[in-house]
Parts: sequence; C-alpha cells; structure tokens
Amino acid sequence: MSKITKSSTAEYFAKNLQQVGFSSPLKAVLTTLKEAVDNSLDACEGADILPEIEVVIKKVGSGSTKNTDLIKISVEDNGPGIDPDDLAKVFGEYLASSKFGKGQCSRGQQGIGISAATTWAQLTNAKGAFVMTKTKAMRKAVKGQVDVDIKSNTGILKNKETVDWPKKDHGVKVEFTIDGRIQLNGDGGLITYLDGTVLVNPHLTLKYKLLDNEPIKIERVSTTVPVVPESTLPHPHTFKLGEFITHATLFGKINLAKFLKTGFSRISDQSIKDFVAKGLPKALLSKSITALSQEEFKKIFQAIQNTDLMAPSTKSVLTVGEEAISKSIQRLGEVDFFSVVTRKPAICDFKPVVVEVALARFKTSQLDADDPVQLLRFANRVPLQFDKSGCAITWAIESVNWKTYGLAQPKNSLPLGPYVFAVSLVSPFIKFKNASKETIDASEELVEEIRRALMQAGQKLSRHIKKEFKEADLERKLAHIEQFGPILVEALVRITKSPATRRKKAEEGLKKLLGRDSKDAIADLEEAQSRLDMLKSKDAKKLGIDEPPQEGGSSTLEAASDNETKIEEPSETKADKKAKKKSKK
Amino acid sequence: MAEKLISIRKLKISIPKEAQIICEKMLSDLEKSKRPILEAVKASLDNSFYNAKVGYLTPGNKKIRTELNVSSVQKLARTVFMLEILLRNLDIGSVNTKRELYYICKGLIKGDGKLKPLDFEDQAESDAIIDFIGDMLEVYREELNCFANDRGGQTYSQQLVVTETLSDGAKATIDLSTLGTAPYQPKNKPQALKLKAKKKIDFCLIVESEGTANTLQAMGFTKRNKCILMGAQGVPSNAVRGWSKLIQEELNVPLYFFGDLDAYTLQNIFRTLKAGSAASLIRNADFSAPEVRFLGVLPEDVKKYDLPHYKVKESDPSEARALKKAKDALENDPFFLDRKNKGLSDILKWLLKEKIRCEQQSFFSVDPKDPIKTEKLILEKIKHKSFV
Ligand SMILES: Nc1ncnc2c1ncn2[C@@H]1O[C@H](COP(=O)(O)OP(=O)(O)OP(=O)(O)O)[C@@H](O)[C@H]1O
Ligand SMILES: [Mg+2]
Repeated sequence: MSKITKSSTAEYFAKNLQQVGFSSPLKAVLTTLKEAVDNSLDACEGADILPEIEVVIKKVGSGSTKNTDLIKISVEDNGPGIDPDDLAKVFGEYLASSKFGKGQCSRGQQGIGISAATTWAQLTNAKGAFVMTKTKAMRKAVKGQVDVDIKSNTGILKNKETVDWPKKDHGVKVEFTIDGRIQLNGDGGLITYLDGTVLVNPHLTLKYKLLDNEPIKIERVSTTVPVVPESTLPHPHTFKLGEFITHATLFGKINLAKFLKTGFSRISDQSIKDFVAKGLPKALLSKSITALSQEEFKKIFQAIQNTDLMAPSTKSVLTVGEEAISKSIQRLGEVDFFSVVTRKPAICDFKPVVVEVALARFKTSQLDADDPVQLLRFANRVPLQFDKSGCAITWAIESVNWKTYGLAQPKNSLPLGPYVFAVSLVSPFIKFKNASKETIDASEELVEEIRRALMQAGQKLSRHIKKEFKEADLERKLAHIEQFGPILVEALVRITKSPATRRKKAEEGLKKLLGRDSKDAIADLEEAQSRLDMLKSKDAKKLGIDEPPQEGGSSTLEAASDNETKIEEPSETKADKKAKKKSKK
Repeated sequence: MAEKLISIRKLKISIPKEAQIICEKMLSDLEKSKRPILEAVKASLDNSFYNAKVGYLTPGNKKIRTELNVSSVQKLARTVFMLEILLRNLDIGSVNTKRELYYICKGLIKGDGKLKPLDFEDQAESDAIIDFIGDMLEVYREELNCFANDRGGQTYSQQLVVTETLSDGAKATIDLSTLGTAPYQPKNKPQALKLKAKKKIDFCLIVESEGTANTLQAMGFTKRNKCILMGAQGVPSNAVRGWSKLIQEELNVPLYFFGDLDAYTLQNIFRTLKAGSAASLIRNADFSAPEVRFLGVLPEDVKKYDLPHYKVKESDPSEARALKKAKDALENDPFFLDRKNKGLSDILKWLLKEKIRCEQQSFFSVDPKDPIKTEKLILEKIKHKSFV
C-alpha cells in the first residue's frame, strides 16, 4: 500500500469529529458502510484490481442507547490488503491517509473516515474495529481488534492473531458492531447507497446481504479499472485568504517564490513577474513563508487574485463514461428507457470538473407517477444521501424546464414521475457546503454546467417519451374508431328512422374517414420512432458498436467531443431565473 | 314575461325537428364519407358581449366546431346518445335532473355491452354533454326537460301572490302572506309563474346569505316593510336568477342586493344575478335581473359605520385566486369594462388596492343591543340612495 502520512493539524480532526456523518443512529450505519466500501474501492483502484466486495449487515441485539439496535456491519474486499504494521494507524488514528491533500479524484480525501467508524463502535459498543488483512506478500492473514486511543490519537491493535484465510490472495475484511438503526430504501437508505455505488462503479462486483433478505450478487459490466488521473495542484484563484495561509503552513520553511511555484498549479516564473507588477512586493519573494506576517500574506494574496492566470488543466478529472454507465444502469433493474450524457471536462470556478448524467425509467419501478423523481447525487463517485435541498445538483435540476421534455414538474421543483435521475460530479476539488459532505456548494458556474448536462440528457429522454406518447395515442385512436363508430351510426339511424341500407353506407363512410385519421397517427408514430432510431444508431456508432447498447437505451459522446453542442434551450422560466439568483448568493 | 319566454320559443322550430335535421345531416355526411360537424355557441368570456341597454351578457358569433375525427368520435357518439334520451323524455313528457340523466345513461350502458365505451367516469362528463347539446340547439336545459335541483331563492312577502300553471294546465295560487314562517321556494321554470301584488310593493331585497335573510325575516322585516325579501344562497342558481328576473319584469319594483364586500361576491354572485354569466350565454336573457342594484356592503359603509373587516390573506390560495380573477375581470369582462358599471368596477379596484374584505354580517356589530339595527341601516341606505 502507499505510504501513510500522518497529518499534524490536530485541530482539523477535532473540528470535524462530530460532523463526519455519525449524527444519528440511522446515519451511523450508513456512514460506517460507506467509509468501508469507499476505502475498498479506492484501494482496488490504486492497485489496479477489479473490486469484488461483499457486504453483510445484520441485527445482533439491541443497542445500549435508546431506540437503537446493535448492528454488525461487515465489508470484505479483494484489494491489496493492509500491511499489518499499518493496521493500528489506518483504523485507529485520525488523519492517517495515503490520499491526504493530494488533489486526486479519490473517494477518500482526509484520513478521517474509517477511524471515525472505529470511534463510534468503541463509544457505543466498547469495542473498536475487527480487521483481517492479507497482502500478496503474506502467506497467512493477520487479524485483530483496533481501538482508538482518543487522547493521544493513536490506534492500538489488540488480540493480534495469524490465521488462514482460505481462497484469499489479498484483501481486507472489516467488521464494526455499533448502535444504530437500519433504513433500507429511500433517500438515506442502505440499498439506495449500494445501488448508487453500483451505478457509478461499472467495474465493481458487489455481493450483499441485508438483514434477513435474500443475498444479492451484482456482477461487474466493465473489466477496466478506472485510472485515477495524476493528482493536480490547486489553482490559486480557488483560494480565500484564510485558506491560502493555511495552505502555506503545509509547506514549512521555504521561500515565497518556491511556495507559489510548487504549491499551486499554473504559476510560472512569468506569473510571478506579473504578480509583482500587480503589487506584490518583490522583496517578499525570497522571504521564508513561515516568517510572513498576516499583512504580507494579504498583499501577496491580493496581487495573485488581480493577476490573470491560465485556467487549470482538466486532465485530473475522471469520467465513468457513457458506455459504462449505459451498461451499469441495467444492473439496477429492468430499464424501460434511459439517456446518458457525459460532458467534456470543464472549468468551473477555476476547478476542473466533469458532470455525468443518467436519466432512466425502470419497468420494475415502485416509484409513483405523482412523486418527484428519485434523485441520486454523486461527488467523486460517492453517493450523497442527505440534505439534497441546498445542493448544486438539485438546484440545477429544478432550474431546467422539464415540461419541454415531456415530464410533469411543479414550479421550481424536481420533476415528477417514476424516473431515476443520477447526476455525478467528479473533481479533485469539490466544494461542499459543510463538513458532513452531503451538499455540493452551488456556484453559478457549476449549476450552469450541470444544467447543460441535464438538458442534453433531457432532450434524449424526450425522444423516448414522445415515441411512447405517440404509441399510446395511436392505440387510443384505433380503439376509438372500433368502439364509437358503430354506436354513433346506430344512434343516428334510430333518430332519423333510416333504413338499414343507409346504415351500411354510413358505416363504410365512417370507416374511410377514421382510417385516414389513423393513417396520420401511424405516420406520426413512425416519425417519432425513426427519430429515436436515428439517435440510437448515432450513439451506437460513436460508442463503436454495431447494435445500440440495449433495447431502449441511448447515449451519446457528442457532448464529450464538443461542449458547445446546440442545446434546445427551453425558454427561460421563472424557475431558471430563481436558480440563477440563488447561485449568485 | 312568462308568455314572452314561451313566445320566443314558439317562433322557432321544435326541438325534435331541429334535432332530426342535425342528425339527418350527420348521417348523410357520413354516407358521403364527409366529416360531419356539430356547432355550438362558444360559451366563454371572449365570446361575451355586454350592451348596457340590454343589460346582460349576450353571445357573439364564435362557435365551437366539433368535426368528426378519431379524437372527437367519442364526444359525438356520446352527444347523439344523450340526445336520443332527451328526445324520448320530451316525447313522453318525462323530466329529469342532470344527476338522474347521468344514472339513466349508466343504466342503459350497463344493459348493453356494445355501449360500454360510452360510459361516463363521473357526472361532470355527462353534464358537459348535456350543456353542449343545449348550446348546440341554443335552447335552455329546462326546454330539454332537464331541471337543476332548486337551490336558494327562499322568499318572504306580505304582499306577493304567485299563480302557477301546473303541467296539467291547472292553476295554483299562492299568497305568500299565508305561509306563516315558511318561505316560498321558486322553481326554475319562471315561465310557469304569474306574479301579482296585493298592495303596492316598495322594493325587493335579495340577501346573499340565506341565514341573514332568515334572521331579518324572523325579526319582522316583512311585517314592517312592504317588500319582497329573498335569500340568494351564494352564487344564484337558475331558479334564483329566473325568479329575480320575473320580479323585475312583472312587478316593476326596485331590486337591491345585499352581500359581502369582496371580489368573489361582486364578480361571481352579483354579476351573475345582474347580467348572467359567460357559461350561460344563451340563457342570460331570461335568467338575469339587470335592474338589481348593489346596496352593500359598500366601501363607504366600512368607514361610515366602522364595520369590522379583514385583510385578505394572499397566502390563502382561494383568496389569491379571487384577487387574480378580479384583476382579470377588470381587464377582460365586458360587464366591468362598460361605463355603465363603472361604480361596480370602482369597487373592484378599491378591493384590489385595499386588499380587505367586509362581510354582510358586520352590520350586526354596529349596535349589538338593537336587534333590528341591520334592518334600520338597510332602510337608511335605500332611503339615501346609498347603493351602486
Ligand atoms: N480496505 C482497504 N484496503 C487497503 N487500504 C486501505 C483500506 N482501507 C483503508 N486503507 C488505507 O487507510 C487509509 C486511511 O483510510 P481512511 O478512510 O481513514 O482515510 P481516507 O480514505 O484516506 O480518507 P477519508 O477520511 O476521506 O475516508 C487510506 O488512505 C488507505 O491508504
Ligand atoms: Mg476512507
């Protein structure tokens, strides 16, 4: 495994402890599961391994706190394993992370996640994490219990044992027994989390057994391990003064010029000259950053902000890809139809981002036609399941006029219907509204970028909806002719007391008339069908396959090659304006 | 007026004949595989005209054309089906309410599998067909022997005598002063009634709230005043509208309406009483009383009598809707646009501006110790011509 660095900013850990997802028994279970699964996925990606993860969650008793159950969460992966010497550090020490501050699109970022889970287990059940690990180099596995020594922020490995782990070359199995409560479905549900994880990880094979439900196995649909791009340094224009100063503390005793060139992206010698032209005192450049005063920092910061810099590179972002999402979405249920869009990486607020959208309707859906669509939000492929109302993704959806694409939508709200809307944002620097990392901060540029992706996907979805509508229309029209024609003629004949000969003649005339109408309806349907087919074959060609990915699906790489693709902008509604106003705040 | 109403119809050909012609045309169109078309008066505000001299809303030239195609074949089949039932009713002299017709249709449909597609999901669907037939033949629903449930119009008077022609031609005479505490309930067939005043009648007061009308009566209103006192019971039914028209035409007495000071009352209740409605364009002639005046509650009364009133809650959707409708009315309703009704549209404007409402019952707060204070105020207002 990669080197574990221990961050010294202990205040950071103190500040985040109560905010990292253990705020209720319900969230505690979900967060524990999430931290463990995220780690497994990250570890596999780092070691170029196709992940196979097994999750088991069961009730094993009643909790020590009121209204809770004692719940055992176990997650086993086939990742590279953890060196036994690192076990205590990984599970028992905060800010021990191989990913810390790297500017990569990994799921984990801080080195808090799994230690927080251990702490919660220890607080509620007096026992920390049970771990078993095996690396390729080990002949036998090592298992033990890790507790957190909260005062000294160190982990303690207890009851260490060497055991056989049959049929396992390498991997980690963790088990937490905690006070919690279980919710399977809905926004904060465990199945919602697992479904979401499956959707954005086409290369994952997942087995899970929740409570007494049947065990489920979902096979991978892709055999390529996503390559997490090289890390990138943050762009100086994304910083606020305070963050700028904190960032400097990570670099120790180096001079300002060096700090600027190594601590940020897009700062060249030329840019430093430009800073000086914009008011950065030249003398400071050779001064050690540890010796800079607050005032000096402010001057430096202002000069940088006033200088034009090249936009950051978008190389550091990763996409799941339309083809992979198209396949992955089939794993969530039998799909009626869907539409997928992957945008080209873009720069929003000086940060590289990429937005991907999948809209789908499932045949097996239990969603109600009158309920809002089910929304799945993702940040760096981690499902976000709480506080959706303030999230940039939610705002972007609400700002689109979905009626133009054939969906019902109350004013300024999510559209309605048995659809799943999945929106994924990947960026090495995602700005969250708060430390619990459930809502993405809604800047104007970001909302607009998501909105564009949504509209592209909406257009494609509307071809399916329109075809379906025309189909129903034709069916209705044909039925009408058969049903009402004879009734009409018969009544007319009775009222006018006409002979049977007139009746026959009128019936023939009526058939002729309505036949013409239904021909028109058939033509309409054919047109809708052929527009849909065109879309599908265009997608298929772009994805390099002969057949469309599957019946009813469509996706396109159009967007990936050209973000300026014409979008049939629905006329700006009040909702749009409101969203724009919101995002300005 | 009763004769006049009947005589209008005498000029026209009979309903069965008219229906025959329409059906014959449809059938022969079909034989030629030509699309039959049914035309009906467009009963909506944009086809409503108001002429102050006439006094009620009349239809313009706009028609609703229903041409046979796959989408309209259901409506046409239902129309002809319902027409057949109505014609039979006329033929055998049978009378029904809309609700009864709904169930009659249901019964026929249940009895014949072929008719199943016609089935109405709810009464609103069959009502719409009945209305369409009325607008198509330009006849009143009552002339199709379809009567609405009588609602509102409970009337008290010591002077009024009503003579009713019954369906068998016999006459019934009702002297309202002999009914004790019971009110007279008008039927929505005004052409069957003749009115007479035993003694001179000074005025007719139509009160929006039936309860308030009853209270006035209980406190002796008709004993002390030579008048007709009527409760409208909210939006006036055809019975109330036709009955008010009859009083206006036959007795030639001033009519006053007393109701809430709010946009809904002014627009829906009072305007319908005075000039009819856009939905009933073809029948406004006989179902509106253009001479009725708005006695109150007037904006000036609120100040003068220091009446309790409320702020209109714009957060309440129904109140907000009423305000929006009032704004629309000021812009589009020919009745409120006409100069003759400026007094009324001024009140609407005032209501929109002040956003308050004041109920008719607020008169009872002026002097709670005087049980007939409301009556006194009403009489004072009539005397001082404090009405619009
Ligand atoms: N299943 C695993 N297999 C291999 N290595 C792991 C596994 N779980 C954790 N690790 C290692 O332990 C480190 C600490 O994990 P932890 O969850 O505390 O932090 P993180 O994932 O880096 O960040 P975050 O706090 O955002 O989750 C990881 O960076 C990783 O190197
Ligand atoms: Mg982690």
